[in-house]
Amino acid sequence: MLKDKHKRWSLYKKIGIFLAILGPGIITGSVDNDAGGITTYSVAGALYGYNLIWTLIPSFLVLIVIQEMNARMGIVTGKGLADLIRENAGVKVTFFIFIGLLIADIGNTTTEFAGVAGSMEVFHVSKYISVPVVGFLVWILVVKGTYKVAERIFLVFSVSLLTYVISAIMGKPHWDEIGHSIIHPDFPVNGKSLAMVLGIIGTTIAPWMQFYMQSSVIEKGLKMKNYKYTMIDIIVGCIATVVVAFFIMVACASTLYENKIPIDEAKDAALALQPLAGQFASQVFAFGLFVASIFSATILPLATAFYVCEAFGFEAGIDKKWDEAPEFYVLYTSILVISAGIILIPGAPLIAISLWTQVINGVLLPVVLVCMILLVNNKKIMGEYVNKPFNNIIGWSTVIVLVILSSMLILSPILRMF
Amino acid sequence: MTSTVPFFLSRIIGAKVFDPERNFVGTVKDLLLSADLTPNQEPIERPVVHGITLKIKNQVNHFSFDNFEVSKKNRKLLVLCNKLEELPENKKEESIPLAALVLDKQIVDLNGRKVVRVNDVRLVTINSITYAIAVDVGIEGLLRRIGIAQPIKFLFSLVKASVPSKFISWDDMEAIDYSNLSIKLNSTYSKLNTLHPSDLADIIEDLDNRSRQSVFLALDEEMAADVLEEMEPKAQIKIIEGMSVEKMADVLEKMPANEAADILDSLEEEKAELLLNEMEAESSSEVRELLEYENYEVGSIMTTEILAYQEETTVEAVFEDLRVNKPEAESLFGFFVVNKNNELIATFSFRDLAVSQPEVRISSFMNDDPIYLYDEQKMDDVAELVSKYNLLTIPVINKNHQLEGMVVIHDVIEDLVNKRRTNKK
Repeated sequence: MLKDKHKRWSLYKKIGIFLAILGPGIITGSVDNDAGGITTYSVAGALYGYNLIWTLIPSFLVLIVIQEMNARMGIVTGKGLADLIRENAGVKVTFFIFIGLLIADIGNTTTEFAGVAGSMEVFHVSKYISVPVVGFLVWILVVKGTYKVAERIFLVFSVSLLTYVISAIMGKPHWDEIGHSIIHPDFPVNGKSLAMVLGIIGTTIAPWMQFYMQSSVIEKGLKMKNYKYTMIDIIVGCIATVVVAFFIMVACASTLYENKIPIDEAKDAALALQPLAGQFASQVFAFGLFVASIFSATILPLATAFYVCEAFGFEAGIDKKWDEAPEFYVLYTSILVISAGIILIPGAPLIAISLWTQVINGVLLPVVLVCMILLVNNKKIMGEYVNKPFNNIIGWSTVIVLVILSSMLILSPILRMF
Repeated sequence: MTSTVPFFLSRIIGAKVFDPERNFVGTVKDLLLSADLTPNQEPIERPVVHGITLKIKNQVNHFSFDNFEVSKKNRKLLVLCNKLEELPENKKEESIPLAALVLDKQIVDLNGRKVVRVNDVRLVTINSITYAIAVDVGIEGLLRRIGIAQPIKFLFSLVKASVPSKFISWDDMEAIDYSNLSIKLNSTYSKLNTLHPSDLADIIEDLDNRSRQSVFLALDEEMAADVLEEMEPKAQIKIIEGMSVEKMADVLEKMPANEAADILDSLEEEKAELLLNEMEAESSSEVRELLEYENYEVGSIMTTEILAYQEETTVEAVFEDLRVNKPEAESLFGFFVVNKNNELIATFSFRDLAVSQPEVRISSFMNDDPIYLYDEQKMDDVAELVSKYNLLTIPVINKNHQLEGMVVIHDVIEDLVNKRRTNKK
């Protein structure tokens, strides 16, 4: 009888395993295209046309390599990245990484709420209504413990990010030019364009995602046996990220760049698209921004509170009650309140906030990556599953490139003073 | 004269060691705790520091702590070394290196019944013997490690508040991360056996893969079975996949058949078959029967360990049977009466039994119009029946009216809770 029952299922077994494992990579990939990401891609497209699209190719490769390392570490050790860093790097290093991450993530969440505010303004809803309402809904969602349901709904919604394909096509892009620009990009090499390149890489490979990815792999209870499926999940997630980024850049490049309309925010892109590609394209763009912003505004504060607590040994998790994990909930609530609050201050320096957030992200990313590469090469931790030379080459080159880019960026305003 | 010097592990790690002539000897890397707790020495069992790891000119070595002295001068910790004497090999093996195994690692807080992270270890030297007293898991310890405890404390004192600090006494904790250790200590995890299986299950679920496996392996089979039963399905599978078939089969035999069936049902076919073949025939055939039920059917949650008697049995005979067979507590929730063909005809309770005279026959007090369920019936209405009739157990029969087992209230509740939880998630 036992045999029959299993035989019946074996037909669907492979699809079943894949669907069960499906998630960490694809969710991380979707959260990746958050308000900050959409803004960066829009601005890049509007300022440099098709000429920065090539950055997506190395980003894609690095993204896969890094997420694979996270997944492997999670599967082999069953420990979160924050746990591993704390146990192997000591308190001081951990403290400075996590203070940086906390500040960067408050900045990131602020950007998400800016996305909510901006996208709803396209639909003529005041930010003084949209931001508090969304903030409260997000908070209730997590505290009342219906988060998992929400995550699934969001995942379905994140398909709406593909609406950017519609927006892009309605802008009538020049495909031959796109191909040409990828092979022969043409842009001035200066502080501004370097910042843009770093911004694109930084937003595609945000430091907090490494922690999020590893934790979700553990929560899913993935095993080395199903490594193949995990890999597919990661690749699908990375492709989704890069495809959406590509079409956002194309949408803005073929309309805003060609008409020389510079923008600062994703909302500007949505508004500016209206006369050029029609109202529908504009609203589709705004809707995508709205969904992406809420999705990330839910996950980001949660992930941040979670790994900060993990690193410092406080109880954490949405399955715990408020008095079982007070530090976790206080931290989570504060991040939400501070981020939503900043948006509501009239005349808040949003562009400066998103710029500084990206700078902190850019500085933290190599630090987190170095920790990761050292951990994943540690035989005591990883046993036989330490990095292959290929992973190390990609990993270390990324670190070197990032460090050079970041230091050029940080040093360029100082150098200009002389 | 008694001298008492309390100090923290974080302060002594990295401290410089000098000899009596004030020459530099080396830097402290770790303290080694004696894992050999012979209870006859002291009334209170405090683990003693018997070794120290020093780095001398890029060489790391373990030395006996007997020739070292720790003292405090102007809030500074001074470590004096009278003589360098290598720690004997047998003592080295019986050591718990504090910085490597405890500091920054997760431990089990036995009173709070949860996993916490160690920020620091509190030690004390009394009459030149150094003991480990407690682990620091509070915020104060964290600040001390970062090096900003004093300024923060000062700021807090301005508003008349204090930095929250929390210590767990050495008796109330158990270290779990022995992954850096090549040998297995005898005393490993012994304190965990004092916990309730449900609490221990929650704790084990919180651990990483390696610690989870080693803690579970250290439990005796009865405890392991109880703990496994209380775990979430996902964690159960992880445990099983990491264990040898023989050991796992032994644990499954100790579990109630319906719980074992649930676990095997979620495993892959080959692995389940392997385990069933390894188990003793009696247990495995019971489990196999239960495995045939779909998980929405009543049969999938019923237990087959039941007490059934013929109607002419006397109360005395029932008690005698209980004394001889010593059934599990949950079996006493309900008693059943069957005829020669094992068809269910009535039920009675432990209360009926307890208040009756020894020579009375069951038939005189049994309830011959019992509520029952069919084994292939859907589970939907079970909770309603339990609640409506205030039942602790409901007998389960097959389509020929033969008694197959019973459904116990806590399995019904567990099923309900799981359903709610999956909806929530």
